Formats: sequence, C-alpha cells, structure tokens
Amino acid sequence: MVKREETIAFFVEQAKEDFSLVEKNLAGVITEIKNSNAKKLNYIEEFDAADVLRQVAELKKAKYKGKLFGVPVTVKDAICVKGVESKAGSKILRGYKPLFDANVIERARAEGAIILAKTTQDEFGFGTFATHTEKVPKNPFNNERSCGGSSGGAAGFTAFTKNFHVAIGESTGGSIACPASFCAGVGITPTYGLVSRYGLIDYANSLDKIGTIGKNVEDAALLLEVIAGYDARDSTSLDNGFKRDEAPIKRIALIKDFFEGCDSEVKKVVQDKIKELKKFYEVEEVSLPLNVKYALAAYYIIATCEASTNLAKLSGLRYGVQGNVEGKHFDDYFSEIRSKEFSDEAKRRIILGTFARMSGFRDAYYLKAMRVRTKLINEFNNAFKRYDLLLNPTMPTVAPKFSDIEKLTPLQNFAMDLCTVPANLAGLPHISVNAGFVNGLPVGIMAIAAHLQEKRLYSFAKVVEA
Amino acid sequence: MSDDTKVMIGLEIHAYLGTKSKLFCSCATEATLPNSACCPICLGHPGAKPVLNEVAVELGTKVGLALNCTINKDFFFSRKTYFYPDMSSNYQITQYEVPLAQKGELILPGGKKVRIRRAHLEWDPAALVHPSGMGKSSYVLIDYNRSGLPLIEIVTEPDLSTPAEAREFMNMLENILNYLKVLKPSTTLKVDCNISINGGNRTEIKNVSGFAAVEKALSYELARQKQEVKSGKKIEQHTRAFNAELGTTIELRKKETEEDYGYIFDPDLVKVSLSDDFLIKAKAELPELPEQKAQRLQKQFGLNEYDARVICSDLVLGKLFDSIVAKKGDAVVTARLLTREVLAVLNHDSLSWADIVIKPEDLLELVLLISAGKVSDKNAKQSLINYISGDKSSPKNYLEKNNMLISTSVDLDSIITKVINANRKAVVDYAAGNEKSLNFLAGLVMRETKGTASPKSVLEELKKKLS
Repeated sequence: MVKREETIAFFVEQAKEDFSLVEKNLAGVITEIKNSNAKKLNYIEEFDAADVLRQVAELKKAKYKGKLFGVPVTVKDAICVKGVESKAGSKILRGYKPLFDANVIERARAEGAIILAKTTQDEFGFGTFATHTEKVPKNPFNNERSCGGSSGGAAGFTAFTKNFHVAIGESTGGSIACPASFCAGVGITPTYGLVSRYGLIDYANSLDKIGTIGKNVEDAALLLEVIAGYDARDSTSLDNGFKRDEAPIKRIALIKDFFEGCDSEVKKVVQDKIKELKKFYEVEEVSLPLNVKYALAAYYIIATCEASTNLAKLSGLRYGVQGNVEGKHFDDYFSEIRSKEFSDEAKRRIILGTFARMSGFRDAYYLKAMRVRTKLINEFNNAFKRYDLLLNPTMPTVAPKFSDIEKLTPLQNFAMDLCTVPANLAGLPHISVNAGFVNGLPVGIMAIAAHLQEKRLYSFAKVVEA
Repeated sequence: MSDDTKVMIGLEIHAYLGTKSKLFCSCATEATLPNSACCPICLGHPGAKPVLNEVAVELGTKVGLALNCTINKDFFFSRKTYFYPDMSSNYQITQYEVPLAQKGELILPGGKKVRIRRAHLEWDPAALVHPSGMGKSSYVLIDYNRSGLPLIEIVTEPDLSTPAEAREFMNMLENILNYLKVLKPSTTLKVDCNISINGGNRTEIKNVSGFAAVEKALSYELARQKQEVKSGKKIEQHTRAFNAELGTTIELRKKETEEDYGYIFDPDLVKVSLSDDFLIKAKAELPELPEQKAQRLQKQFGLNEYDARVICSDLVLGKLFDSIVAKKGDAVVTARLLTREVLAVLNHDSLSWADIVIKPEDLLELVLLISAGKVSDKNAKQSLINYISGDKSSPKNYLEKNNMLISTSVDLDSIITKVINANRKAVVDYAAGNEKSLNFLAGLVMRETKGTASPKSVLEELKKKLS
C-alpha cells in the first residue's frame, strides 16, 4: 500500500510552500549518488553537482511552480540534455554534448523538474540486462544480479534512492518494463507517439518510446502526464496527451502463451496476484499464437534494420569520438573508428540489420517483417475487442546473476524478451508493476492496453499496488 | 545518325526546388558564409529528427502535374544508405518504392514522345570543397549549407535516341520548370545521362551540368561505345564521369545495383497523404505552360506556329512579348522582332538574358516605329545591336540621333533625279521592260537616303519619274 505522503505529487505540494524541502530532498539524493558504495552500483553516468545547484538556484526564483516543482529527475543516457554528455551508453559517442534539450527535458524543466543526471544503459538500448556497456548497473536487491535493461540505471536508481525522485526511461522492445520488473519499480511505456522522440538518440525509430519509471504508480504516471503531448519536431508525435484519470475496466485476459515459457515461481507469484484481482474484474484467458510465433523474429529484423541505418552516422566525423584522419581514405577512417568503438553487440546488430535489408534478402526479411508486424497488431486489436487489458508476467525470470548472463547465447538472450516485445512491436501502451517476490527478488506483472488507453493501465496498476 | 545503331538514352535530372527552408529542417536555403545555414537536423546530430517541408511537396506536385504524371496521393520517404563524407547521416532521405509522381510524358516539338518514369523528392548532401582544386588538395572541407536542400529528381524512360534530342528535351524541361517558378534561383540542373546501344548494357555519366555538356558527353560516349563494340568488346554496366574541358568521359566505378543501398522506410517520417483539396489547389495554381501559351498566341494574335513556339520556348522572351503587347505594341511585329532580331543578336554575341538589360518600353518604341513604317528593317536591327551590345542607348534615341528614321522631309525628289541621271543604262533597261532595274535604282536611292525614306514611297516616286 502506497501512502499519499510517499508520492511525488505530495512532495511537490509541500515543496511549493517550503523550498527547504526541495533542498533537503536534493541533498539526500546527492549524498546517495556520491556515496562510494553507490558509485560502484553504476546507476549514474557523470554527476555534475554545479549544474544541479545552478538549476536549484533558478528554481528558487521561479514564479511558476509546476507539477514537478523541485523533483530530481534522472534521464536515460540516450535522451539529449543540452550541454550534457549524451552517449546512449556507447563509447563512440563519448563527448557528444547536444546543442538542444529533448522535448521531454523541456517539458520536465517547464514543470519545475531538476534534471539530476544521466542513467546507465545498454549501448543504444541493445540488451536485456544493461550489461552491454562499460558501466554495468547492479541490482539494488542483490548486487550480483542485473537491473535488467536496457534502462537499467533508471530502474536501479529509482529502487535505490530513499528520496523523492523519478526517472525518464526509454523502451524499444521492453527496456522499461524489464528493469522495472527486476527492480520492483513501476514502468510505463506509452503508446508509440504519445511522447515526442525529439532528442532521443535512436535505436529503432518506429519502435522507440520514451516512458517513465517511478517508485509507485502515481509517480510514474505524473511524470508521463508532464512529458506526453504533441511536438511538431517529431513527425510521429500524437496530440492526445495523458491525464491521471481513472478509466473503467471490466474484463481482462491472461495471455496464456506468455505464461508457458516462464519460471514456475515467477508464474506462481503472478497467478496469485491475479487471484486477488478476480474480485474486481472478470478474468479470462486469451491466446495470441501469431505473436508468440513471430513477434521476436519480426522485432529483431525491424529493430536491427533501423538501427543499422541510425548508427551509420556514427563515424567519428563531427561529434563523439574523434580519431586521426591525416593521410587516410574516409572509408578506412570510418572503419577504424567503428571497429574500435562499437561493442560486439552493436556490431552484431549492425551486421544483422544490414543483411536483412540488402538486395536479395530485403523481401524475405525486412519487407516480410513489416507485413508480419501489421498482422500482429491486428491480433492484438482483435483481443482488445473483448478485453480491456491483457496480462502477462513482465519477464520469464527474476533478475539473473551476471555470471549466468555470460553463459547465454545471443539467441537465448533475445528469447528473454518474449513477453515484452509483442506489445512494443505493436506500439501498445503497457505498464509493469510489482506483483511480489521470489527469494527476495522482485517479480513484475505486465498489463497491456489498446492504443492510447493509458488511463486503464493507470487505474489497473493502482489496484495491483494497493 | 547515318548508320542503323539503335541508341537508347535516358536522363535523371536533379533540380533544386525554390523553397525558403530546407527539405527537412527550417534552415535557410540561401546563405553566404560556409556552414552558416545548418542545424542539428541537417548536420545529422544524434537526437535530431527531420520534419517534411510541405512547400517542397507543393512545388514537386506542380512539377509532376506539368510533366503529365500521376501524382501518388499516398507516399513516403526511404533511407538510402551509403557511407560518404558529404552525407551527414550516411543515409540519404529519398523516395524509393512510391515516388511523389510517376508515369508522365513530354512531347518534343517534332512530335517525339518522351515518357517520364518518376519524379521524387530527396535531400541534397553537403558540398565537398577542395581548397586547391580536385585531386590537388591534401584535404577536403565540407560545407553543410547545401546539406538538406530540397531536390526533385526527374527520371525519364530511355526514349531519347540522339544526343541532340537529349539536349532538346533538357531545354524543354527547363523551360517548363521556369514557367512553373519552382526552381531555386541561380541554380542549374544536374543530369545523370544513361546511354546504351543495340540493346547492350548501359553506362551512366554522372553529374553533367549544362545542356551543351549533356549533348557533348553523350556524343562522346556514343562514339566510344560504338568503337568498343566494333573492336569486339562488350559494354559492361558502369558509371562514368564527364570531363568538360576535354569533352571526354572516364570510368568511375562499376555500377552498384539500386538495392545495394539497403533501402528502408524512413521511420522518422510518416506517410504523406495528399488531400483532394491539395491536389485541386495545385492544379488550379498551375500557370499557363509553354505549349498552352503557344496555342493561345496563335489563336489570339494570329502569330504563326514558329514564332509562337519560339516566343514560348523561353520564359524571359515570353514575358517581353507579353509586356510589349500589353502596351499596345503590334503582336506580329513584336514576335518577329523578338524571334528574329533580338535572338539573333543574343546568339551572335553568345549572350544570355542575365548578361543584358532589356526594357520592354524601349522595345515597344521600336515596335511602334516599325509598325508605323518609320524605320527600315536594316536600321531597326542596327539600333538593336547597339542597344544590346553597343552604347545601350534606346533604339529610338539611337535612330533619332543618327538620323536613321524614315522621314517625309527628306528631299526624295532631288535624290531620285540624281540617281536617274547617274544610271542611264538602268533607266533604259526599265523602259525596255526589265523590272529588276527598278529595284536596282530603288536600292541606290535608299542608300542615298541612308534608309530614312520609306521603300514604298521611293518605289512610287521612281515609277512616277520614269513613266
């Protein structure tokens, strides 16, 4: 049960009257970040205390006190913050300081948020465990284990801090839900287009969605309310916005196919939770055979095709890592920088994606995957004719040990995304909220709603949380 | 072509559209200092996103309509990926599967039909600047002012059969684009020329600027291919460059097939759906095109087909005609003056409109003089030459200053008497029935009057005196 006093909304109300609360909360957060033990947990990229203090000084003078007044907000590294190194967890973008704020940052600042720091992530979002990067965040519940990925630092720090804070994350194939599940947070991934991607360093543009991770439903939803909305600089932006209103939910369905591949303990935690929910909703089961069979394949083809074009621009020319160009043909220079600075995982995805869109393979892979995607969306839409929400365990396991992750093949690694990828591929809003624990490790339950039905997720998650 | 070689020529023409801002960002399309008109979007900075410039779509739609194309109401953009230092994202945003316009045609003046395969929008790469000349510089600078400028690429089917025809097509196309007012001022069309003979593989000559160069490059390439085939070699499909100084083409690289660019739909941009209203408006806003105007001039003013076509083959010439005629200059006289005399002076001195100043009111004065029979053709021409490449005084001033106007006050009577007395033989011949002798005498009289008498009155007076 989350008490009102534990929510950011409550904190903001108080802080508007008494600025010392802002300073006190922030001092607490900064101490946590600077704490040497916390540093080893690798949630935060670089911390610039002077920049934070400058923001606080400005906030103190502000006439308008917004919905996030004085709230420290962390930002996934892939989201551009003006003048702050933004490298999406990669080596190749070391030193890239954007000339502009992402739309979500502008919106958060306009409502009085303090942009605290960038959080660690898999390089460009390429991963399920936030291990494909130099600074690997460690799970606050057990430091031997992963936070989940790719927004690992965001979820890790959200769970770690004892102070008021909320995180901006980003999901392409499950990068908000997965770490939220592993770290007992609430992660909201909105409908594709609800939040502007302007200023997001792309992984796969037709799949990328900026979302939120909070300690509770109210916090994650409040941040979503602030960052959602139309932005003319993102052609895929929608003008629907989001408000924290309750929406009626009558019938929900478990996606039974998604339960099948899950660890039995995880399954049990989720099923127990659902038993409690039966007093509120009609609960049935549904099968999504096409999604089970094809979603992962379609996702990895489309995502890597788009990613391989997005990463083409990273060649050490105008930003990020610079090499010595003297006396070199540009092809050799580009190859040298890219060979050295991309991780193996990035190279794997570039090669896969380039292959799948080349002459002779494009029809069989890329174009087919795009057609399959439409069929998979239709399968979901049919289910939403009967049900207000669809449910599944967010992840098939609890947070795995780093030593076990190392043993996974790339294919086993991809398979971990089975429950999160379909909703992401279909651009459907979903939320992960804690359903319980297995041996002290969090288990998340995930709810998926029809496009733009975020209010249902909000209403449902509040019931789960209670 | 005297031999029976079957030649197929197809052109890919790139034209800069005259928008105020670039195709996918709000940067200005005009700038003086290098790298002064660029932003995170056209620089390809991570996090920046393109947004389509709707004006470019409007202009492109007009081009499509004027080329008799079908406009695709639903279209989208694709990424064409290749690594090159002038390409800020290392992919070009262009159109692949569904272009803005397709399946059009233009009819050349001789009646030849040239099919238009497609016309699509794309952004231009940055400009590479070789500070001390191509091949000589040890480094290259990049000017991103050009990065993201809106281009329309017009692709023909290989329907052209001679280099001269290709040039004729280019003239016609450019004229239409000028009439549409869709081009960025002071830019030239760049052409990729594809040519094959007798159904063999084609070669592509990249990036040829200027229509004379198009004809030259194709002529050279045609001769080269013939020579290759004659010596028993097979033409391989490849890309060539044109050396304008030498008039030759050289091999650049083996041609990649289109699909090697790994096209995907650009997921930053949404599908564009043109409304019916948009298309109706675009059609309504189409100006009168050269062909339509030529028809009208024949009907409205009784111009002959040749004059009407020449007047309409050049936007500036057409405008001059319009303004002179609007000021009550006689249409037929004006057309003759422009198509014969003005163009002749321009051609003779290899001048273009940009090199000279011609005021319609100055030409109008000349047209009025001609219509009133107050100036001889020879003097009219003389005054034009002076106006265009001499001291540039108006034709009327020039004619007046030099007493070159036909005047009633000239003492025709005494001049005729003088000529008759000095040429008795011709007088006798005329009396014997030789009409030519009359013309001979009239010519002498005209010379004596320095063209200031009207030929008609000279003939009349002569006949009177001799009868």
